[in-house]
Amino acid sequence: MMPARSKILIIEDDRKMSAALVSGVEAAGYEVVAARSAEEGFFLVHSLQPDLLLLDLTLPQRNGLDILRQIRKEGLDVRVLILTSHNTIEDRVEGLRTGADDYLGKPFSFPELMARIDALLRRFLPPLQTSALTVADLSLDTKTRTASRSGERLDLTTREFDLLLYLAENHGRTVSREMLARDVWRETSRFTPIDNVIDVQVARLRRKIDDPFAIKLLQTVRGLGFSLREPQS
Amino acid sequence: MRSPLPTNLRTRLTLWYLAVLAILLLVYATLVFAFQYAALTRQIVHDEVQDVETVEGLLFFNSQGTLQLRQDYYSRSQSHLLIDRMMEVRDLHGNVLYRSPTLKGMPLGGANRAGEGDASFDQHIARLQDGSHVLLISHIHVMQGRTLLIRLGYSLAPLRARMLQFLLLLLIAIPVALALAGVAGQTIAQRALRPLERMAARAEGITASNLNSRLDIGNPDDEMGHMARVFNHLLDRLEEAFIQLQRFTADAAHELRTPLASLRTIGEVALEKGQVADEYREALGNILEETARLSQTIDSLLLLAKAEVTQPGNQQTVFIATELVDEILDLLEVVIEERHVSVIQEGKPAGELSVRADRSLLRVAILNVLHNALKFSPNGSALKISYSRSQNPSPTLRIVFEDQGPGIARGEHQRIFERFFTSSAQATASQSGTGLGLSVAKLVVERIGGAIWFDEEVRQGAKCILDLPMCE
Repeated sequence: MMPARSKILIIEDDRKMSAALVSGVEAAGYEVVAARSAEEGFFLVHSLQPDLLLLDLTLPQRNGLDILRQIRKEGLDVRVLILTSHNTIEDRVEGLRTGADDYLGKPFSFPELMARIDALLRRFLPPLQTSALTVADLSLDTKTRTASRSGERLDLTTREFDLLLYLAENHGRTVSREMLARDVWRETSRFTPIDNVIDVQVARLRRKIDDPFAIKLLQTVRGLGFSLREPQS
Repeated sequence: MRSPLPTNLRTRLTLWYLAVLAILLLVYATLVFAFQYAALTRQIVHDEVQDVETVEGLLFFNSQGTLQLRQDYYSRSQSHLLIDRMMEVRDLHGNVLYRSPTLKGMPLGGANRAGEGDASFDQHIARLQDGSHVLLISHIHVMQGRTLLIRLGYSLAPLRARMLQFLLLLLIAIPVALALAGVAGQTIAQRALRPLERMAARAEGITASNLNSRLDIGNPDDEMGHMARVFNHLLDRLEEAFIQLQRFTADAAHELRTPLASLRTIGEVALEKGQVADEYREALGNILEETARLSQTIDSLLLLAKAEVTQPGNQQTVFIATELVDEILDLLEVVIEERHVSVIQEGKPAGELSVRADRSLLRVAILNVLHNALKFSPNGSALKISYSRSQNPSPTLRIVFEDQGPGIARGEHQRIFERFFTSSAQATASQSGTGLGLSVAKLVVERIGGAIWFDEEVRQGAKCILDLPMCE
């Protein structure tokens, strides 16, 4: 899928977090290097010239924002995604103003992190020009906002179509409830009632797109979220 | 740069007081001095006028045609005043006809001035050859067919000596008065400020551990009492905030421990017995669900903390309440449909009923209330939302949510709003969320001056009443 393996540098001081990130991002097919301190990370930014930097803000000795500032001052061509537990709107604004390309609050869902990483690196590629999306025998037309499966037109509400479109755009990948709450429902935060709404909505969508058919495309990934994909044989 | 004024308020007050007093005393002394001088001068002129009239009767030309003064006037009672009298009589050509011995041959004033003494008694000051000043008056007198110009004066030296004495007295008295006033002022200021010192000493002793102690209020109506009251109110608010913070910390610690415990147990059990990938998968899924719950608990706690610090006027906007409710119903629509709950809206006002609040917080509050009602609504039941307005005591919008669920157990109508409260009733136990939804709702509503409660009279289902202050 990637033209060349993109290099990702992770600057994160927590050992377990770092190890989990390395293994997860590597599994998605990227070349990953991890740094545990600001100095090491800063050195690696220069020597490795990564395409993307996953940056934790609370590092020993030096604040992550300092590194970011330095990188932007030197004009290095690297995308930066901030990962931090400082997650207020003010923190986000500050991070993005300092020159981050994206900002993800801890605790985040891993599928969401991957979606963001892919999105950031995909920015290098020309955007998709087509209005049609297909997953197995399911096809969506974003222009007419209609969906059909095996040629059979599906009768979906606006919200159901938005949900299905989002799942289809991320097909093969797991979509978390946080992502759905924010990107489909446009809610600022995920809380109990929203979770409930999402679950019910997904159940209804499943009834429409999967129940009449033998192959089930909309899967629930326990603890992670939902995924639209063909089941592995 | 340091101010040249002393930093001590007491001394500063005293100095200002002294400065004002000194200015007042000087103005007063000047006025008194001027008045006294004018009064004494007038007295001298008055005496001179009388004297001139006396002298007119005593003057005569003797046989040689020389002007003489009858000497028997020395025996008059006021004669002692007149010993110093200086007198000169001239004819209209300026020839001196008589000069009193007190002048010692010196002329009294210069040449005759035009019109001198014509009208009543001319009064002016003349300087004698020996340098002394004389206040003299002139008068024209016709005697035995000859017109005479009488000039009569008294030396100003005694008057000036008296005024000098008076001035000296004032100059001594003013500093003495100022010194006394300074001491008195310092003492008064000290006494007036003493309660302040006591308050400062008391306030210095107040720390986080004894935030409950308060300042003594001496006289609640004076400035110090007012200040102490204001300070005590500040302490009240501080203490309340501090207690809330402590409660929040305790709640958070407790509530975070519970999911942490399940995380640990699930992990441990899976590692102990699991050999099968499916079991691990199950355990991991479980763990992730627990972490999601943990995250939501933290988010709710932060939301509570945010609502706690919300002061009226903070980030508030004016919006239409019914639109907010509709928006929330729209969000929950899928759940409503799924449960075949019919939502009935009653008394929905035609006019635009605006409330002032932090919209996102109030949205969360109403969402929690509605979701709560929906959560406990049986399939196919009705959820009634009714609106009414009242003016008592201020314009209020009342929204009532009535569900047909199991209702609230007796005695839990208030506790349901407590943080992390979950009902003991079996029917609801499986439905519990973070246990913070209604606490958030209550806090948010109360912070904008509204009220929220469950009607205790209702036996069937639950009836939640929400009062929101309207703005015009």
